[in-house]
Amino acid sequence: MNRRLAPYVFVGPAMLLLATFGVFPILVAALVSFTNMNLGGLARWSNIKFIGFQNYVKLFRDPDFWQALWNTVFFVGLGVPCVVLLSLAVALLLNRSQGPFFRALRAFYFVPAITGIVAISLVWSYLYNTQFGLLNYLLSLVGIAPLQWLSEPTLAKFSVGLVAVWRGTGLNIIILLAALQGIPRDYYEAASLDGASAWQRTRFVTVPLLSYALFFVSVTTLIGWLQFFDEPFVLTDGGPLGRTTSISLFIYKEGFRQSQFGYASAGSLVLFVIIAAVTLLQLRLRRRDLE
Amino acid sequence: MWRTNIVPALAGLATMLLSGTALSAPVTVWIMGDSSAKFDELVAPFETESGIDVETVAIPWDSIDEKLTTSVASGQGPDVVQIGLSKLRTFADAGALLPLDDLIGTYPGLATENFADGVAGAATAVAGQIVSVPWVSDTRVLFYRKDILEAAGFSAPPATWDELRSMAKKLSERGEGQYGYYIPQWDSPLPVVMTWSNGGDIVNADGNVDFSPPAFAAAVDLYTGLHADGSVPQNGDFDQTQGFISGIAPMLVSGPYLANAIAGAAPELDGKWSIATLPKGSASGTSLFAGSNMGVWFNTDAQDESLKLLEFLSKPDTQIAWFKLNGELPTVKSALADPVMAEDPLVKVYAAQLADAKVLPMVPNWDGGVGGELLKALNSIVLTGADRAEALANLSAATADASIN
Repeated sequence: MNRRLAPYVFVGPAMLLLATFGVFPILVAALVSFTNMNLGGLARWSNIKFIGFQNYVKLFRDPDFWQALWNTVFFVGLGVPCVVLLSLAVALLLNRSQGPFFRALRAFYFVPAITGIVAISLVWSYLYNTQFGLLNYLLSLVGIAPLQWLSEPTLAKFSVGLVAVWRGTGLNIIILLAALQGIPRDYYEAASLDGASAWQRTRFVTVPLLSYALFFVSVTTLIGWLQFFDEPFVLTDGGPLGRTTSISLFIYKEGFRQSQFGYASAGSLVLFVIIAAVTLLQLRLRRRDLE
Repeated sequence: MWRTNIVPALAGLATMLLSGTALSAPVTVWIMGDSSAKFDELVAPFETESGIDVETVAIPWDSIDEKLTTSVASGQGPDVVQIGLSKLRTFADAGALLPLDDLIGTYPGLATENFADGVAGAATAVAGQIVSVPWVSDTRVLFYRKDILEAAGFSAPPATWDELRSMAKKLSERGEGQYGYYIPQWDSPLPVVMTWSNGGDIVNADGNVDFSPPAFAAAVDLYTGLHADGSVPQNGDFDQTQGFISGIAPMLVSGPYLANAIAGAAPELDGKWSIATLPKGSASGTSLFAGSNMGVWFNTDAQDESLKLLEFLSKPDTQIAWFKLNGELPTVKSALADPVMAEDPLVKVYAAQLADAKVLPMVPNWDGGVGGELLKALNSIVLTGADRAEALANLSAATADASIN
């Protein structure tokens, strides 16, 4: 009896938390997405009406939503490969030595991941500032005209993406470094004896043995970038002209600035479906790889 | 023993009930920003006089939306709330404010004719109902650098927008990185003010938002023209205070807060800059009437006490006391006309401008809706070279169902 109960007792608390703070809100959002819920509905529940799929129809006709969707695709396309490759490169380099200098560097690369987003936004908006920014000052030293880092519609996308890449690598470097240190030295020794070069050892020993960590890093990074929010929120508030508005920021603005809770819920459901689909696809591809 | 004690106690209770003072319900007031301590000071005489206890809660401007949502959802709000004029419609639509039409008659101090025309009664009614009482005012005036204008051969600030445009062009020719004027890319009232100055409005006779009048087209000409001339900076992170102090943008339209910022950051510029009422368009020099009103929360249990407090706040003496305490301009006509307002040359200009100022149309959600779309359309033309006709057609389509009704 006790043996049969034990697994449920261990899993129970986590399941309860997941159901309360994960599954239940999604169900509520799904329900709200079929209503015209707004501030008036919040005040008096009698103002809430079920309006079927109207929110979804409106959403797919809203040019702002499509702009946010394509912006998100852009950020994912730019951010995920950059973060994964950069994290891997830095982790490989940091793994070359265990000396005090390298340990200090490890901390250095981890700092962006644990710095508050408010501090990050302050520092970067000063770096990027058109009039007083350090970046434009450095450009002026080599005679290049000042750039509008956060105001020029196309450049702003890259500027915001760069901050997120810089911030996103820290944690992934530590994860990959831990995985690297778990690879037994024997493999490298054996490969060296067989005459493998440094590049061949990295390509045919390290990377395959890292594949699980790399998979984990790319799944979490992809989900993170699909939910991209912090950096555009603090640096540009989605501007200029909506060019850095991600889906999450779009949902936030509709829901919390304009109090269109029904409409925002529809948007968040769409984002949920996109993330679920992409993650399932990754899991499928991974399974096929293993086979 | 028991009997001897209870008699005085009962007598005391009876006195309290009869006099009615100590039993008045306390009034909770939400005051925007960080001036709650000064507000306590302001209402201290009211508390002693009426016996009504006033509790002030400071609400940061940034968190007003969240605060409104949670208090509407829970039904637990204050009794009196300060509302920025741009948020008035949102508050009223949420059902958070008590309609005051039938109540104002009982409180002579709240009579509509006491307040500046731009903000009194119908001017800030939402869907035909008065839901608030004017409290403090704010407006936009022209800031200009006397020294820089004189060096460029201009002895006076521009009297018309056309003059401003040509002056700005000349001033921007002072050198690389120099401009004549500054248009904040987040300033949605500015194009509306330009429309008003040409005798038009962005709301038609039926109360629907309408961007077709020629007065608006003229405003777009001015807005895009200033950009096309190279007279205004195009970077969105341009700092207006620093831009004005350094002289990069020697003219701009802003509110009294900028005057305080300049005086604080660059006291050495004193005397080298000044303000004037807005330049005129083809019709007038109408400016924006901004500021805050006071509303009564819909389910307050201290309705009479709340309205008494509003009556106290609407006294000319209280309004002048608040101006002295906190620097916010009055909304009561007789307070605006008080000699104390003429002592400061800047305040004199603000008061003159307030006589010709209008509030933004009371459409639902100005910032996220009509105002946001307006900025998006104009900025897409000037920043990305979008086709003007197409951008304005998109603007009309996006705001087609916006109305003040």
